[in-house]
Order: sequence, then structure tokens, then C-alpha cells
Amino acid sequence: MNVNGTAVTGYDAGARLLDVIREHLGLRGTKEGCGVGECGSCTVLLDGEPVCSCLVLAGQAEGREVTTVEGLASCPAGARLREQLVDHQALQCGYCIPGVMVSATAHLSRTEEVTEESVRTAISGNLCRCTGYTKLVSAVLTAASDTGAHS
Amino acid sequence: MTTPDTTHAARTSTPAVPMVGRSVPADDAGAIVSGALSYVTDRRASGMVWAAVHRSVHPHAHLRSVDTSRAVAESGVIAVLTGVDVPNNHLGSDPANGPVLADQVVRQVGEAIALVAAVDEATARRAAALIQVEYEPLPVVSGPVTAPDEVASVSLHPGGNVAGTIGFRSGDVDAALGTAELVVEMDTVTSAQEHVAIETPGGMAEWDLGKVTIWCGSQNPGLHRRLVAHALGLDADDVRLISNPVGGAFGSRNDDPVPVYLALLAWHTRRPVHLHLSREETTVAGPKRHPYRTRVRIAVDGAGMLSAIDSRAIADTGPYVTSGRYVLKTSAEMSVGPYATPNARFDGTVAYSNNANAGAFRGFGVPQVAFGLELAMSRAAERLRLDPAELRRRNLLRAGGRHSLYGHPVGHGFRAVETLDAAAEHPFWREREAWAAGSVGPWRRGTGIALAIKGVGMGSGRGDIARARLIVATDGQINIWAGPNHTGQAIETSYRQVAADVLGLPADRIRVHVGDTELVPESGATAASRSMYAGGAAVERVCAQLRAALDEAGAGRPLQEVAAELVAAGRAEYEAEFPLPDVADPGRIPPEALAEYAPHAVYGCSAQVVRLEVNRLTGEVRLHGVVCAVDAGVAINPGATIGQAEGGVAQGIGFALFEEYRVHEGRPVTTGLENYLVPTAVDTPPIETILVPGYEGTGPFGAKGMSEVVVVPTAPAIAAAIGAATGVWPQHLPVTPERLWTALRAADGVVAA
Ligand code: FES
Ligand code: FES
Repeated sequence: MNVNGTAVTGYDAGARLLDVIREHLGLRGTKEGCGVGECGSCTVLLDGEPVCSCLVLAGQAEGREVTTVEGLASCPAGARLREQLVDHQALQCGYCIPGVMVSATAHLSRTEEVTEESVRTAISGNLCRCTGYTKLVSAVLTAASDTGAHS
Repeated sequence: MTTPDTTHAARTSTPAVPMVGRSVPADDAGAIVSGALSYVTDRRASGMVWAAVHRSVHPHAHLRSVDTSRAVAESGVIAVLTGVDVPNNHLGSDPANGPVLADQVVRQVGEAIALVAAVDEATARRAAALIQVEYEPLPVVSGPVTAPDEVASVSLHPGGNVAGTIGFRSGDVDAALGTAELVVEMDTVTSAQEHVAIETPGGMAEWDLGKVTIWCGSQNPGLHRRLVAHALGLDADDVRLISNPVGGAFGSRNDDPVPVYLALLAWHTRRPVHLHLSREETTVAGPKRHPYRTRVRIAVDGAGMLSAIDSRAIADTGPYVTSGRYVLKTSAEMSVGPYATPNARFDGTVAYSNNANAGAFRGFGVPQVAFGLELAMSRAAERLRLDPAELRRRNLLRAGGRHSLYGHPVGHGFRAVETLDAAAEHPFWREREAWAAGSVGPWRRGTGIALAIKGVGMGSGRGDIARARLIVATDGQINIWAGPNHTGQAIETSYRQVAADVLGLPADRIRVHVGDTELVPESGATAASRSMYAGGAAVERVCAQLRAALDEAGAGRPLQEVAAELVAAGRAEYEAEFPLPDVADPGRIPPEALAEYAPHAVYGCSAQVVRLEVNRLTGEVRLHGVVCAVDAGVAINPGATIGQAEGGVAQGIGFALFEEYRVHEGRPVTTGLENYLVPTAVDTPPIETILVPGYEGTGPFGAKGMSEVVVVPTAPAIAAAIGAATGVWPQHLPVTPERLWTALRAADGVVAA
């Protein structure tokens, strides 16, 4: 598989993708909050689709493109989002943020008309216990208007 | 943006742009969004071993034997520890605090019995599962909320099942209730709420040269250091706890045993050890908000004046007591809310059970009692055909007034009137009739309001102190070590704002460090809404000392030059402390018993309005918005303060509508996030925060704490809105669709009959 554009080998195909990312590659931006697909902290892009990496085996990612939070800066939506999340003071402990970054970047990258409702739905799989989501949603909406995706 | 400027003048009377009052992003924000911030559970070291915990499967049982032989024989296992391997097998000085590792009796499903260290995590978990425990089951105590009569039948501790009681009265409550025009009673049940910090407990520890260093989240690093030292028989000076970055806490990291497990494993293996609890074990074994059953009666006259508030509360603390007695104390003090009444009574009991262990949770005993009180106020207003905001307004305690139960004066920063007015002036409240008139089909619309206060700090007579240390370097760089620690609130950013303004220097000359017991002077807990208030005040004081030294050296001189002189003169280091003020006069509390009741001089306040719809046929609730007015005094970092308010409201929504850790005869029914529901982005409506202008004279730049009180009004405002929409006043939290549907059906049955 490719992770953030770099070919990766030597991993155990039976391991969880999350463990390959965190332990084999040492990319610890991707977090584990539940291990069973309920919290979204481990969200990564698999060929552009957000997935819970705790539910994917490394073998299933064979030959595919994986993007983690560390790899998002290279896409314009990801870079805008980073800036807006900081400026809006949209994060607190930040543990959910890598997952939110991934889900929201995917949403911005492929949605023509971004609305408050579409943002809430796009990040509804990412549990955040600190923020109450209001600032997260407005940060994503501002990032969308900056990239021209905001209706 | 400021850039480092080493020639900056040592003294400017006031900074050109004050930092206090500016919305400044957290120092770590950039590292967070890029995924670069390394949390305590992200830490790794060479030669590190991985740990796992073996836990009880019985709610109450004698341990006949614990056989670790198969685990020890497993290849890759480095150590297996049980209670006999803990030098002092206690999590504190009171036996009712519980053991580090259960060795005779287990009193809860999920209680830790053994620790395993192995070459990798999978081996550690596999070996932990190989430990054979022979149990002799004992009768289960289901707890005072669900089975009050059973409490006395089996004793979980030598003194019986009552962990603590508190009783206090003022005036003649029975007479007032007997003669009142209107008495409204609420009999409420509030459920065990799980913190669900998104980073589950864990971290790393290392043993080196007779000292142990632990990287693990903590809301009270000094206390954890003492707990570790006590259990291991070490000197506290030989224990170092580095307690962030960490992914949230909300009360759960107050007395988390994980730092003790980590230290114990590092001490035995002499290797770096990593442990990260799973969500399932955190859900089952982690602390919860105390479930309460509370009966509140209020007596009101025809003019809408309160003549009595009478509360009786019983709390379930689970198998061991950590914060339970203090939680109950806080309930007692806040049982009269922000109201003035001549007659008040509180009787409370906190009791043991074989349910989840309950501890600190944001709000600390206030959400449980405020729910019934505020619901009763809304109901009384309806009965008297008064505006619920107006009924409250008529009965509010004013700044400098005396507390209805204890009789101590509340401080001059008290802003209940202004806070209530800020919420009630919002269109959500003013236009509630138009909102209700828009109901369509089964979706009935309602609006609710509620108000609450919460004391700031540990309370009078408790010797509550925060401290700060400052060192100025020859190049003029200023380092400050201060507490309390942060667990995601970025408190160090706000401390830096305070420091910049006291010193009259750009904020980038100042670095603030928190959460390291080796460097930060002991400053108590990140709890009781005290961090900004107490830590900020300690920072203010330590900076004032340096400011005086800079002033003495002469105005307008380059900072670097003055700094070098101070270093040469041995005047580069400063320490200060801020003892939180006790009440000016204890009122009805006997002065020698002040700490027993621990009343507050300073209170934060929040009023909230909720707009919602209820489906009369299904019991479903749709939230349309929450307005949260909050009195934080002067907000040092308004953006961060608003973030705290919004997060608190979301937890209040969870408490009101979703969150319930359930057990049946001591066995968990709830095991993880698949059956413990916390609000998602679609469950949470837009939240609008109003910062009420205020000024707390004893706080740094007029600031005070607010992060707990914002959790409190949400549930009673939601329940009152449901009452307004349907005529049914839910008294059992969370108000799940099933519960509400059942109540609506019962109400319809009464109507039909
Ligand atoms: S860790 Fe994968 S969804 Fe929670
Ligand atoms: S910022 Fe803490 S969980 Fe989202």
C-alpha cells in the first residue's frame, strides 16, 4: 500500500490497519478511541474514502492509497481546514481532531454544496467529547467557503 | 503577530494590546491539527514492554485463589503481578478507597486483580486472559437508588454501607410546607454518566536510578504522586508524574488508578512499560457520575415567593469511596440553587453498592440536585401562570446576600440576576409562544429555561492553594511553572495571557509549563472550576514580583540588560501562592465545622434556554438550539471560554437525553460506545453562548471558573421544554424515547379516562 504517497512494505497483512499506521510506521496522529468502529478517532482515507482503520485489516489496504492526518496538508481542503480549526479555537484536547480532519477533508473535497447539515452528517461518526461541535462545524463551513464549496 | 524582540523595553506601563480578553488559540493547536502532538499514550521507548489488566467478572465475591501459572509460562511474558506484589496494597489511606489489586474480595465487575507485562500488547492481553481466578460469589448490593431497602442487608465495608451523610436546615421547613399556597414536588432519578474522554486511560512509566517517571493523564498530579509513593513504599520525591498532553478528563482522571499500575509495573520489570486501557474496560471499570435519587419540594406563595426548599438525596458511590462524600457536600450547598428563601433543608446519604464506582464528574453533585429543583421552579411557574424566568427573578439571591441554607454571604462577583436576564432576553425565550404555535402534527414544540450556580474551588476551610514559580533567564526569556494542570482546556495559554499583561511584555517572551510534579509547585486539582481562577491568580502574583523587580531596575531599559542583572544578583527566581479565600463569615455553620460543609465565597452561574420538538407518538426529542448564558467574571480567553461552555452543554444534553451506564444486579449491561450513547454532531444542535459581563474581585483580572456550571442547567431546561410541549414533566434521566413514550401514554390514559 501507499501511505501518504509513500510505498510501505514489511507489515503483517493480518494486523489492523490502525496498528500498521501507528506501530509499524510510527504515524501516531491517527488515534484509537474504541477499537470497534464507534468513535471515529482512527479515521483515515482509503482511496479517498473515510474508513475506521481499526476495522480494516492491513491486507485489505493492499495496493491502495491510504491518507492519514499527517498527509492532509498536501491537499488544499486539508490545509484550509487546519487553519480554520486553529483560528476558530474549534479544538480542545484534540484527541478527536485527526479523525475530524480526515472526515471533513473528504467531505470538502467531494461536495459541491457544503451546508451546516452536510457537515454535521459528515462528522457524525467522529465523537468529540470536549467541544459540543458548534465551533468544529463553523470552522469546516469557513474552510468550505474559502475553497468555494460552501453554498 | 509578535516577533521575538530581545531589545524590548523592560517596562511598559500597559501593553499596547492587552492579552487578557483576546481569543488566543491554544499553544498546541498547530501540532494537534497536523497530527504531530504526542499524547501520553503515544509515547514509546526502546526496550518497552506492554501491559494488560486481568479484571473481576463478579460484582461481589471472595477470591479463593488467583492462579497465574499459565500466564507466567506464556512465552513473551515478563511479569505477572497480583496484590501480594504491591508493597502497600491500598489506593489511599482509607481502606474504603479500595486496594490497588484486589486480593481478598472483589466488589465490582471490572475490578483489577492482576497486571501482566509482555513483549507486545497481544501477548500481554492473551496472558491476562490465562489467569485463573476461583471466586466464591457473595450477595450483590444493587445500590441505594434502585434498591434502597437492600442497602443494609449485606455490608460491603466493616462500618456498613453508608459512606457518608450530610444534613443541614435553616428556618422551619415543615411549617412553611404546611402553610404554603403551593407545594411542588419532584422525585427525580439521574443515571450513572460515563466521562468518555476520547483518549482512554493509559501512558508509560520508566524506572531509572531509584526513581519512577510516569507519563499519564492526571487532574491532580500531586495527589497521584502521593498515591504511587504510598502504594510502592517510595518517597514522593522519587515519583515524577508528567500528566499531559492528554485527551480529555472531565473528572475521570481525578483518582484514576492507572498511574499506580504503570509505576508498579516499571518498578517490578525495571523496563519502560506501556499500558492503554480499552474502551470496554474503561466503560466497565472507570468512574461514573454518581447516580442519585432526589426528592425536592418547594413551597411558594401566591405572589411567587419561595418560602421553602426541601431536598432529600441518596447517591450511589459504588464499591469504594473516592470523592463521594465531597460530591454529596457539594449537592447540599447547591441544593438551594441561586435562590433566597428563609427555610431550607437538605438531607443526603451516599452509600456503597456493587455497581460502578462513582467519582468526580464535571458538576460534582450539582446536576443531580439542580435537576429536580429547577424542574420544580418551572412547574410552579406554570401552576401560578407566571413567566418561569420571572418566578426565578423574584427569588434570586443578590451579590453580597446570604446563602439560604448555610447563611454565609456570597461574594460581590455573584451575577445570577444578570445571567438569567441575558438568557431570558434571547429571542428563543421571548418568542417561545410563536415557536409553540408552529407545532405540526405529532411534533409538539416547547421551550425551557433553567438556571444554576456552582462554587469555585474546594470550599472554605479546605486549605485550597494554587502556586506558581517563575525564572527569568539572562536573555530575558521568562519561564513559568504553574498549576493546576490541563487535560485539554489549554489552560497554559490563558496563564500566559495573564502573565503578559502583568509584566507588560509580549506573550512570546513567556513560556508556561503545567503538569509535571518535578517542576510545577503543588497546586491541587484541575477540578472544582478552580484552574483559571486559582492558577491564574498564582501566575498573576508571581509575575507581579518580577514586575516589581523590573520596575525597580528602571523604566525603559532593555529587558535583556535588566534580566542579566537580576540573574547576576541572584534575583531571577520567584515563587507565589494563591490561597483561595474562605467565606467572610460562616453564617449558620459552626466555625469549627467550616471544612465539613466547605461553603464557597465565589460562584459561577449559567442560565440556559432550550428550544425543541417532541414527537407525541414516539417520544422522540429533536433539539433545535441551546442558548447558554454564563458568568465567568472577565473571560481571559473568550474563545476558549465559549468552547468550554459549548462542550459543557453537549455533556448536559447527553446527561438529559442519552447517557446511562446500566447495570443489572451488579453486572454491566452497558459495555462500550455501541450501547452507551454520547451526543454526535447530528444529535447536538447549534449552541449559542453569551458571556455575561462580570467581575470577580478576587480572581485574576476579574476572572472566575465556569466550566462545570455550564453542564447543570441543560437537563432541567430540556425537561421543562418537554413539559411545556407535552404537559408531561420527565423526572427520570436520561429521557430516552422509551421513557418519554411510556410517560406520554400514561398521561394520555389519564386524559382518556
Ligand atoms: S478507534 Fe476506530 S472507531 Fe474508535
Ligand atoms: S477536542 Fe477533545 S475529544 Fe474533541
